[in-house]
Amino acid sequence: MNSPEDELKRKNIRLAWILGAFALIVLITAFPFWQNIFKVLGSAVK
Amino acid sequence: MSYTTTMNDDAHHHNPTGWRRWLFSTNHKDIGTLYLLFALTMLFMGGASAMLIRAELFQPGIQLLDPDLYNNLVTNHALLMIFGAVMPAAAGLANWMIPLMIGAPDMALPRMNNLSFWILPAAGTMLILSFVVPFFPGGGSQINTGWTLYPPLSVQVGMSMDFLIFAIHLLGISSVLASINIIVTLLNMRAPGMTMMKMPMFCWTWLVTAFLLILVVPVLAGGVTMLLFDRHFGTSFFDAAGGGDPVLFQHLFWFFGHPEVYVLLLPSIGVLSHIIPTFSRKPLFGYKSMVGAMIAVATIGMVVWAHHQYTIGMSLGAVSYFMIGTIIISIPVGLMIFNFIATMWRGAMTFETPMLFAVAIIMMFTFGGLSGVMLAVVPADMQYHDSMFVVAHFHYVLMPGAVFGLFAGVFYWLPKWTGHMYDERLAKIFFWINVTGFNITFFPQHFLGLAGMPRRIIDYNVMFTEFNAISSIGAMIFGFSHLLLLYIIIKTIRGGEKATAQVWEGAKGLEWQVPSPPPFHTWETPPSIKQVQS
Ligand code: HEM
Ligand SMILES: [Cu+2]
Repeated sequence: MNSPEDELKRKNIRLAWILGAFALIVLITAFPFWQNIFKVLGSAVK
Repeated sequence: MSYTTTMNDDAHHHNPTGWRRWLFSTNHKDIGTLYLLFALTMLFMGGASAMLIRAELFQPGIQLLDPDLYNNLVTNHALLMIFGAVMPAAAGLANWMIPLMIGAPDMALPRMNNLSFWILPAAGTMLILSFVVPFFPGGGSQINTGWTLYPPLSVQVGMSMDFLIFAIHLLGISSVLASINIIVTLLNMRAPGMTMMKMPMFCWTWLVTAFLLILVVPVLAGGVTMLLFDRHFGTSFFDAAGGGDPVLFQHLFWFFGHPEVYVLLLPSIGVLSHIIPTFSRKPLFGYKSMVGAMIAVATIGMVVWAHHQYTIGMSLGAVSYFMIGTIIISIPVGLMIFNFIATMWRGAMTFETPMLFAVAIIMMFTFGGLSGVMLAVVPADMQYHDSMFVVAHFHYVLMPGAVFGLFAGVFYWLPKWTGHMYDERLAKIFFWINVTGFNITFFPQHFLGLAGMPRRIIDYNVMFTEFNAISSIGAMIFGFSHLLLLYIIIKTIRGGEKATAQVWEGAKGLEWQVPSPPPFHTWETPPSIKQVQS
């Protein structure tokens, strides 16, 4: 059941998902929603 | 070390034939071939658009095209070349060579590999549609933004811009998937005993490239998605009247765009890192420093994007930072060049076509890097910006740094792929025509730019006539020379002198231990450490 080949396959797929999730995060941060977060944070500090 | 294939007839080993073999392929060699064929097709389409542009610029005034079509061609040329030709060609080399080089039976995720290729023809179709749609009734205006797609212009263009935005989405998905696959393959599939620091340099360059792609392609995708929203859904990300900022798009675009030039460059640097040692019959000089330099280039390259935007009115502090950062990159880039020269130093060099290209690349790429340093200087760039000087710069870095490197790789590995030697005499003729044509085309553009001729404009002042005429003649020589390349490739595929497994006397590495052409399946049992080290 847990042949080294299956093990490798699982490892590969897991890493692929991690990288894919990372790419998604990069995509989301490209949208400038954080501009307003900064503004809100800035005024909160004041 | 001899190589034997074990032909066991497991169920998953039957090889489909005909169109199924290609459409459903999960084999890295077949997918690599598909990528390369796609890239070659796009190279010819992008080349045709370039030759139309140069034909128009042969004389001042407007002869062949109209201004809208001219702008459309300029845009389409760049996109076809960058996304259609260079990136897929580099991915084709990666598919073919990485598993062979690291002793892996295939890419880590073969079915995803199939997907990342087959997205490309769809994306390419969308890209071409974005060019032709305006010629149909109700098709809207032609794209006139250039490949940089700056708003507000890109918000005003007709529906062809929507085709382009979706094409970029698809291209982005394809290259992110391919990058993920390459990273997973390189991290998880190396033959036992092959540590990271024993990995062939081509693999290292692709590892860094793939990380760069994952870091920047989604930003471009985000940027064009916002364009789409501004165009159709009433947002105003880039519209000052609605509280947005058109300059934000420029930042997003160049945050992608500058690292993208390294994406185009690095795989070819990887190819050179194999060709130069082989034909110098010496190991690569400074392997570790090469890896370090590459990581430095990629890291610093991520934080210098605004050198494309000096004229937007940044603060003095900001432009100084971007200027210094940009100039600093020339240090690791220079180190790579010096490593190549040191590899050749006192080597037993021979000059087969791949090596001819390699030497030419070193000279011409360095030249392009130097004009880059000129452009990086803020007060100077205020003059050069948006002139033909920039066009000369990036063609001197991209053509040698990316395209010729890929040509060199194709000549270097074609005997491995096909089992036949290419016609060395014809290939040398191609080299000389090609490189001479390139220089005739782009060298005069430096003078044109310095004298004040703007880029991306269909007409020009009569004072620029002579150099433009020379440039256009060069472009015809350069463009048509690629028909010879096509002929050489077809001739090699169809036959020729049989290639040995090692092909080149000085070639080292696992990829040269499998027969030429390699059997459908290779390295099903990983090679031993001893093989890795030989
Ligand atoms: C030492 C190395 C380099 C420096 C200092 C440098 C600097 C610059 C600067 C400052 C510009 C903007 C010029 C302007 O628009 O006014 C520019 C444009 C450009 N560079 Fe470089 N560069 C270097 C290497 C490269 C390499 C290696 C590539 C590609 C392989 C490249 C590709 C481009 C492209 C495509 C553009 C034009 C983009 C456009 O406006 O459409 N550069 N470079
Ligand atoms: Cu740049």
